[in-house]
Amino acid sequence: MYWVSVITEAGIFAILALGLDVVWGWGGDFDLAFYGYLALGSYMTFVLAIGKPTPPVEYIIGWRLPVPVAMLAAIVVVVGLAAIIGAIALRNLRDIYFAVTTLGAVSALYLLVENYTPLFDGYNGVYGLINPGQTLLHLTYNGYRLVLLAVVLLLLFLAYLLVQRLSRSPFGRMLRAVREDERAAAAYGRQVFFTKYRAYLFGAALAGLTGGLFAIFISAFNPSAWTPQELLVIYAAILVGGRGNPRGVILGVFVVYVGFIELTRFLPSPASRPDFGPAARQVLIGLMIILMLRFRPAGIFKERPGVDTAGAPAPLEAAPAGDDPGGLPASAAARDTARGRQRADQGGT
Amino acid sequence: MATALLEIENLTKSFGGIHAVRQCTFAVPEGQVVGLIGPNGAGKSTVVDLVSGFGRPDSGSVRFAGQPLIGRRPDVISRMGLIRTFQTPREWRNLTVMDNVLLARRRFASESLWQSMTHARRIRREEEADRGAVRAILERFGLAGLKNELAVRLSGGQKRLLEFARIAAAEPRLIILDEPMGGVNPVLGIRIGEAVGQFASDGCTVIVVEHNLPFIEKTCGEVIVMDLGEVIAQGPFSGLRDNPRVVEAYLGMDQSHG
Repeated sequence: MYWVSVITEAGIFAILALGLDVVWGWGGDFDLAFYGYLALGSYMTFVLAIGKPTPPVEYIIGWRLPVPVAMLAAIVVVVGLAAIIGAIALRNLRDIYFAVTTLGAVSALYLLVENYTPLFDGYNGVYGLINPGQTLLHLTYNGYRLVLLAVVLLLLFLAYLLVQRLSRSPFGRMLRAVREDERAAAAYGRQVFFTKYRAYLFGAALAGLTGGLFAIFISAFNPSAWTPQELLVIYAAILVGGRGNPRGVILGVFVVYVGFIELTRFLPSPASRPDFGPAARQVLIGLMIILMLRFRPAGIFKERPGVDTAGAPAPLEAAPAGDDPGGLPASAAARDTARGRQRADQGGT
Repeated sequence: MATALLEIENLTKSFGGIHAVRQCTFAVPEGQVVGLIGPNGAGKSTVVDLVSGFGRPDSGSVRFAGQPLIGRRPDVISRMGLIRTFQTPREWRNLTVMDNVLLARRRFASESLWQSMTHARRIRREEEADRGAVRAILERFGLAGLKNELAVRLSGGQKRLLEFARIAAAEPRLIILDEPMGGVNPVLGIRIGEAVGQFASDGCTVIVVEHNLPFIEKTCGEVIVMDLGEVIAQGPFSGLRDNPRVVEAYLGMDQSHG
């Protein structure tokens, strides 16, 4: 059952990473608010699904909606928040300015949630079992965990298909063009802000879904569950797997979560220093980022550009011709070099 | 007399205390290749930015085919049929050569995110005609064999040709080339001259901002000279040598080099 939990968690984070990769990998925007969207999705799923709070616990809403409905509503709320943050941060801010603005937004949200207890019971957070179908299907606890794993993996597969399809689509191409050079993208008719904005909302929707799954998976959510380090791990996973490549991103999450975080639990921890394991984990993740950036910056799987297979007219002899400083393809270069030489001769006489 | 495709009137722009463009007025007739020359800092590139929506003037007006351009976003202006280049080639580095040109060909406001997910196959089919057109364009610019290479791997000269392939794919009405000959070897220069000629014979109007005067003389029917943010002369290149203001501001320098 331990490994069922590990793989379920990795699957949930893989969906989150797919969403973040659309924003960062394809769109180029280093978003630090992203884990906040997972958190909000999680909180909202709770308050919409677990019913009225029993004092002294307090939180808003307290409905008892069917879980899928609660999750969908949570996604809508998350996309709403992303619409506000994105509208401010994406319009003119790029790179470090964008990152700092989103960090500010998520910090404000964090402080609000932690200190304003009527919202999500502050530091204690919200908890409660959400186990859709367990009673309905007469499942044992272990059987339920397996079903949950299957549901998560199914959703991950669907999210992968969707993202993969988007990646190869005109939208994916346009978003990457905006990432590569937004002035050129504008010069060729693209609405830079609107393109980035929609990608941002799409990513946030996946984060909201992840939040809902997370709520079901761990049955509790409080501010300590969404510290900034958590997001760093997701970024590390994308970096390892291959930024911009959906398959790589999923692989990266499994490598980082299963390979590093879980296996390091088995590191011997001296009894006098129980914090050795977690600390070693952080060090290993940092080390991995550095090594990946040094030796394989594109990740395990590189971003795959669209390949045009049909009507291939020229063989690949078209490598830059050696004697031509302009590096024209061979056939054209030969012709032009001949003409250039002729011109040079004329100039000489 | 052809009607003016681009009319610029009293265009003015300051950056802090610097008057980059001052009461700049000129018109470009449809179907012509027009040179825009002047010393560094004359305001040529600022005019290009203001016309293409990459900057907002303090005052003045720009009309393109009778439509006012001021206040419109660059992407809107681009879709109206005005394509501009930048002083350095701005290829989308980690996209393939094919995708670079295809993006220029299919110059939409935005490819729908929703349809990209729901109608992927139909979109692919619709794109096939454009892919065919792009392959022909790549062939014309000698880039066909490189279509699946990332643009970042191209040499400087190939990047210039890619820029021209993108323009050809976009089929614009007005092309503004900002220093197309910058860092270009003589062989490639001939090819670029041919490309400009081809655009003109296809019915495009072309504005060439350039310091390479032999290139301007060869390709442009008419020349506009700017200095200190103002237009100081407009006319055929041959007439400029007799204009004392032009000689003082710009040509004199060139002759001392020659």
